[in-house]
Amino acid sequence: MTTSRKTVETLSNDRRMSDETFITLLVASAAVGVFVLASAVVPNFFQPLNMLNLVTNNWAVISLGIGVTFLLVSGNFDLSVGGNVALAGVLAVWLAQSADGAHALSTGFGLPTTLAILLALCGALAIGGLNAFFVVRLRVPSIIVTLGTMMLARGIARVITQGSQRNTNLPDDFGVLGNLTLFDTAVKLPVVLMAALLVVAIVVEKKTVFGRLTYLIGANPVAARLSGVDKARHVTYLYLFSAAIAGAVGILLASEFKSGFSNRGMLMEFDALVISLLGGVAIAGGFGSVVGMVFGALILAVVTSAATGLVLSPDWQFILKAVAVFCAVTTQTWALARRHR
Amino acid sequence: MAKPRDAVSGSTKGIGVNGHPPTPALSVEGLTKDYPGVRAVDNVSFSIARNTVHCLVGENGAGKSTLVKMLTGALRPTSGTMTVRGAAYAPGSPHDARQGGIATLFQELHVVDQLTVQENLTLGMERSRFGFLVKSDLDRRAVQTLAAIEPSIDPTMRVSALSVAQKQIVEIARAASSGASVIIMDEPTAALSEREVERLFAVIRRLRETDVTVIYISHKLDEIFALGDAVTVLRDGRHIATKSLSDVAGQPELIEMMIGRSVFQTYVPRPSVTDEAVLTAQGLTNHRLKSVSFHINRGEIVGFYGLVGSGKTEIARALFGADTVSGSIRFKGKPVERSPKAAIRSGIALVPEERRTQGLFTSLTLRPNISVMNTRRLSTHGMLRSADERAVAAEYVHKLRIATNSIEKYAEKLSGGNQQKVVIAKCLFADADLLLLDEPTRGVDVGAKTEIYDIIRELADKGRSVAVFSSELEEVLGLCDRIFLLFAGTLEAEIVNGPDVDVSHILHVVTGSGRSVAP
Repeated sequence: MTTSRKTVETLSNDRRMSDETFITLLVASAAVGVFVLASAVVPNFFQPLNMLNLVTNNWAVISLGIGVTFLLVSGNFDLSVGGNVALAGVLAVWLAQSADGAHALSTGFGLPTTLAILLALCGALAIGGLNAFFVVRLRVPSIIVTLGTMMLARGIARVITQGSQRNTNLPDDFGVLGNLTLFDTAVKLPVVLMAALLVVAIVVEKKTVFGRLTYLIGANPVAARLSGVDKARHVTYLYLFSAAIAGAVGILLASEFKSGFSNRGMLMEFDALVISLLGGVAIAGGFGSVVGMVFGALILAVVTSAATGLVLSPDWQFILKAVAVFCAVTTQTWALARRHR
Repeated sequence: MAKPRDAVSGSTKGIGVNGHPPTPALSVEGLTKDYPGVRAVDNVSFSIARNTVHCLVGENGAGKSTLVKMLTGALRPTSGTMTVRGAAYAPGSPHDARQGGIATLFQELHVVDQLTVQENLTLGMERSRFGFLVKSDLDRRAVQTLAAIEPSIDPTMRVSALSVAQKQIVEIARAASSGASVIIMDEPTAALSEREVERLFAVIRRLRETDVTVIYISHKLDEIFALGDAVTVLRDGRHIATKSLSDVAGQPELIEMMIGRSVFQTYVPRPSVTDEAVLTAQGLTNHRLKSVSFHINRGEIVGFYGLVGSGKTEIARALFGADTVSGSIRFKGKPVERSPKAAIRSGIALVPEERRTQGLFTSLTLRPNISVMNTRRLSTHGMLRSADERAVAAEYVHKLRIATNSIEKYAEKLSGGNQQKVVIAKCLFADADLLLLDEPTRGVDVGAKTEIYDIIRELADKGRSVAVFSSELEEVLGLCDRIFLLFAGTLEAEIVNGPDVDVSHILHVVTGSGRSVAP
C-alpha cells in the first residue's frame, strides 16, 4: 500500500461518535432515566426480581423486534409477525393433537411433537415467503403486503381454531420446550433463546457483510443495486428470518400454555414496531440498531409496569405508550437535527 | 446572440443622461461572512447594472452559495451592506428578500404538480373571501407575464403535464409577476436538454426587457458567454473581478480568473491504446436504443457524445446490466450476465449519472461508500475485516485527494466534486477492467474536474479501459481516444480523436441535422 501509515491513522482515527452511537446512548440514558424515576415513585419497583422480569416478561416482543428491526433498517415493514405467532402456535397444536378426539376442536393429526413443530415453522416461513414474493417480485409497498399477510395468518389461525383455541388431546412432551428452565434457575428456555438470538443479531448487524448490506439497501436502494447488491435476495432472506423468529415465538408460546390460541400475539406486531422506533430505528430505513431496540423495549416495559405499580387501571397503558412514543421520537429527531447544525 | 449590454457601471456607455451612473439593480459593499474558523465571503464589493444578465462564477467553495444565501436572507452577513435599486437592503429571512424584490430559482423545482399552471403562478399569494378563493389582479398579471415570456404554455394546463424546462419557466413567471426586480437562478440548466436550454435563454432575454435583472449562476462557461452581459468571479471567498463579458477574451481567461492558473485541456494521443477489443457490443436495442454496435479496446478511453436523450445513459446502463437490452455484449471474450452484480464480478463498474440518488449513500459515512462494490475482498466467511476496510477507505481518500479530515464523515457533507470522487473511488476499488463514467464531471468545479481527468488517464495508461458518456463536447475532445456520436438512440458516427477533428461536423451529427442530407 502506497499510503503512509500516518495518513491512514489520521483519516480513520475519528474520535467523534457516530450518529448511531449517539442515538443509542440517548435511548439508553432515557431507559435508565425512566427506570430511576419509576424506582423513586412506584412502591416496591426497585427490586432485583422486578428488574429481571422487565426483560424476561418481554422475551416474545424483543425476539420479534429483532426481525422487525432488520427489516426496518432495510427500508421495509413487517406487520405480519403478530399474526404469524398465532398461526405457528395453532398449527403446531393442531398437527400434534391426537387424531381421535371427541369433537372437531380436540381432533388433530397425531403427528409426533418434533414433526408438528417443524411443519408449523414451515407454515410461518410460507407467510414470510409470501411477504417476500409480493414485496420483492411484485414491488407492492411492504406496509400493504404485510398488513394483508397479518390478517391472512390470523385468519387461518381463526379458521383452524373456529375462532377460539385448541388445548386438549396434546401429547405431554408438547409442553416441554416452553416451560423448560435452565441452570436450576427460574430462567426459561425462551428467554435464553432470545438472549442468544440477540447476541447473534448484534454480531450480524455490526460485523458481517450481511449486516452491512441491510444498511446499504435501506440507505439508498437504487445506489445499492448499482453497486452490485442483490436487493431482491437480501430482502427475501430478511422476511424469511423474521417469519422464522415469529414462528418460533408462536410455537414456544403454544408449548408454554399447551394451547393454540387464535388471538395470541394480538398487537405484538405493533409493539415490535414501537420498540424499534423507540430504540431509534429510522422508519425510512438505513439507520438504527438492535441494541437500541432492546433499550426501546426496556423503556416501554418500565412505563407499562410502573403504571400497573401505581395502580392505574390497565386501560391507561395505551395512553402511556403513546406518550412514550411521542416523547422518544421527537427527542431523537430534535437531537439529531441539533447535532448536524 | 444578443450583444452584451453596458453591464458594468463605470464603463463610458453606462453613464446616465445627466452624467451620473444609473442606479444599479443591486450592489454589495464590503460584504463578509465568517463561520467559526473560516471566512466564507471576504470583503466582497461589486454592483449589478439594471436589466442585465449578471453571471456569478467560481469553483465550488469559492463563496457563491454563501453570497446567494445572504442575498436571499437565509444568512445574515457578518459585516457589509447591500443595496437594491438604491435602497438599503438587509433581509432577515427569505420572506423579507421577496418583499425586497429578490426572488430565487433553486435547482429543485417548487411547483405543485397537481395544480394548474395558473394556480401555480399565484401559489402562496392567493386572495380569499370568506374562505373562498377569489380572482385578483395578481392572477391576471401573472398570466400576462407568462404569456409575455413563453406564450406556448397554456395557463389552464396541469403542471404535471409540463416538462422540467416548462416548469422552470412557470416558476420564473411567478417570480417576475410577484414584483421581483432581481431573480437569482442557481444552475437552472442542470436538468435541461440542449434545445430546452435555448428556450430558457430566450425566456431570460425577454425577461430582461421587462425590467428584471437576472443573477445567473452556472458551471457551464459556454452558457455564460451565450447569455451573460457581465460576470463576477469569486475565488476563495474573495472578489476577483467584475467585468463586462465583451471584455473577457474567452473561456480560458475566465477559467484562469476562477482558479488562478490556466488549464485549458487539449488532447494528447496516449501510447497505451491497444487494438485488442475488451468489450464488443452487437445490435443493442431497447426502448431508447436502435441497434447500437461498437467495441472498446484495452487501455483505451472512448467517449460517447450526444445531447440529452440521445441514448448515452442507456448504453452505459445496458453494458452494466442495469437495464434490459437485446443484442449481444461480450466482455473479455465471454457473454456477460445481465445484472449489476454480475457486471461488477466480471470487471465492469459504473459511475452513474446522478451521484446523489444513484451513486452515493448520502446518509452513510465515506467508509461504507468506498468499500461497497468489493466487500468480498474485505471479508472472510462473511465477516468484515474492519481494520482492512478503514485502511482501504483512507487509502482512496488520500489517493483521490478527497477533501475530508476523516473517513467517518457523512457523504452528504462533502461538496459536489468530492462526492463525485467518492463514487469514483468506489468504482476504482471494485478493480474493474472497464470503467463506465456517465457525466463524470456534472456539477463539479474546475479544479476537481482536472483531477478526475487525470485519474481517468492514469487508469487507461495502466491498461484498463474507460468509457466516458458525456454531453460536454470539450470533455470528450480533451479526454477520449475515440468518440462515438449518438443521435436519438442510434450510433451515427465514430471518429478518432486528433488535432484535425472537425467540431462543426460533430455538432452537425449529434443535432441530427446531417440526417436529411443525402451523402
